[in-house]
Order: sequence, then C-alpha cells, then structure tokens
Amino acid sequence: MSTATGNWSTGELSIKGDGDIVVARRAVRQAATQLGFSQSEVARIVTAASEIARNVYRYAGEGVMRWCPVEKGGQRAIEVRFVDHGPGIANVELALTEGYSTGGGLGMGLPGAKRLTDELEIDSKVGQGTTVILRKWRAKEGHVRN
Amino acid sequence: MNGNDTVSVTKVRDVLMVTMPADPDDSMIDSLQERVLQAMERYSPKGVILDISSVETLDSFFARTISETARMVTLMGGRTIVVGMQPLVAVTATQMGLTLGDLETALSVDRALDRYGVQASGQKGRG
Repeated sequence: MSTATGNWSTGELSIKGDGDIVVARRAVRQAATQLGFSQSEVARIVTAASEIARNVYRYAGEGVMRWCPVEKGGQRAIEVRFVDHGPGIANVELALTEGYSTGGGLGMGLPGAKRLTDELEIDSKVGQGTTVILRKWRAKEGHVRN
Repeated sequence: MNGNDTVSVTKVRDVLMVTMPADPDDSMIDSLQERVLQAMERYSPKGVILDISSVETLDSFFARTISETARMVTLMGGRTIVVGMQPLVAVTATQMGLTLGDLETALSVDRALDRYGVQASGQKGRG
C-alpha cells in the first residue's frame, strides 16, 4: 500500500496525554482514508478510536495504539488495537452496557465504539491490563453503505 | 474557519459567540465550559451561540461537555443554540446513540441570531 505520499495505513503510537487522543484521531483518519474508506466510515472509525484512546489515558494512564489493514475473502478492514497495562476491566459485559461508567463519564465509550464499528474485542485481566481491538470492514464496491 | 488553536468567545450585541476548533483536545473542551460560564457572568448576555461547524469528530466526552454547558447556561438564565453540526458528525452521533436531544440547534449562525432577534446592521440578507 505504499504510495508516493507515504504509507499511513500501518503504524503505532503511544498514548500518554490527552493531546495524544488528538494524535490518535488524526492517525486513524489518515489510515482509513488511505485505505479507501468512505467519509462516513472514516468518521465512525475515528470516533470509535477516540473513545477507546480516551479510556486508555483516563483509566490506565498510558498505553499503545497500533493500526493496520486486514484482508479476508477479498474484503478489507482497518484494525485498531489498544493495549494498556492499567487496572483492567472486572466485568467486560457490564462495561459494554450503556450508561455504565466507573470514570464519572456517560458510560458511552465502549458501547459507543461497539456501535460504530463492525467488530470490537476486549481482552482484559484485572490488575494486568486491557486490550481492545476495533475492526471496520470496507463497504463493497457499488454498495454504498451510509 | 477557525484553526486548531483555541476556543474563541466573543460578545456580539447581546449574544456570546463561541467557536470550537476542528479537533480540540480534552483540556480545550474543558475550557469551553469554564470560559462560557465566566463570560455569562461578566456580560449577562441573552445566551450563547455555539458554533461547531469546524468540528470533525464529536465523541461522547465532547458531546457531554456541550450538553452540560448548555444546562449550566440555562441555570444561569441564558439560552444555548448549537450551530453548524456537519452532516457526517450528525450521522455518527446518532448511530453512536449520543443523546443531544435537549439541545436547541440551528443550521447557521445567521438563523441562530434571528432567533435572538439580532439584526446584522446594514445587512438584510440571510443565509
């Protein structure tokens, strides 16, 4: 996928401050745009990534975001993976419930990100950390999904 | 278009014009609330026009801050009109399930000013 303007579709950045949430949004926007996602798909994946990046910063203090394209059966997705070594999530199912929050938020972060992407995987161990993987598949050619 | 610098708060006649940058960080979003409430106290305006037409990503934290700020302005005796949400932002916010239902909105700053009864001097046209 390398082009003359550079390859933004794969990368990694550390999240250590709230400014890094902005950087994370830009990186995902650039990657999804380069991978040919429609503007509305880009808006969704960027918003989902913003939610998870903020969770990493607020709950774990720091973490890493890695992104790359994924292909399966001729379909292409963008995958964004967040890894932290924070306190972990005791009850993942509950954390995916709307309105549930331990951080004084709206409790919209995880459920919101889930609604905006096609796949959301959480692997979390209390006291060890959390990995969240977001995947968004590209709508098929000639099949505009909004 | 406002660059990605800061939240701008300007008093226009009897209204506070507040403009958000395209991609604000969380501390900039926090400062929105503080600066709006300070300006409400200082100028006692009829209310606030919050221009988010540059904003590309509205996540739950940003949306919550806007809702809360509007509620605080109401408690202080003012009104808030949110203006210029981009179509993609509206689609994403709706799909995500953000509840912004109690916010008063307008398509453009001109239309919001009309609701406040503010006429731009020497200019009768509207957008």
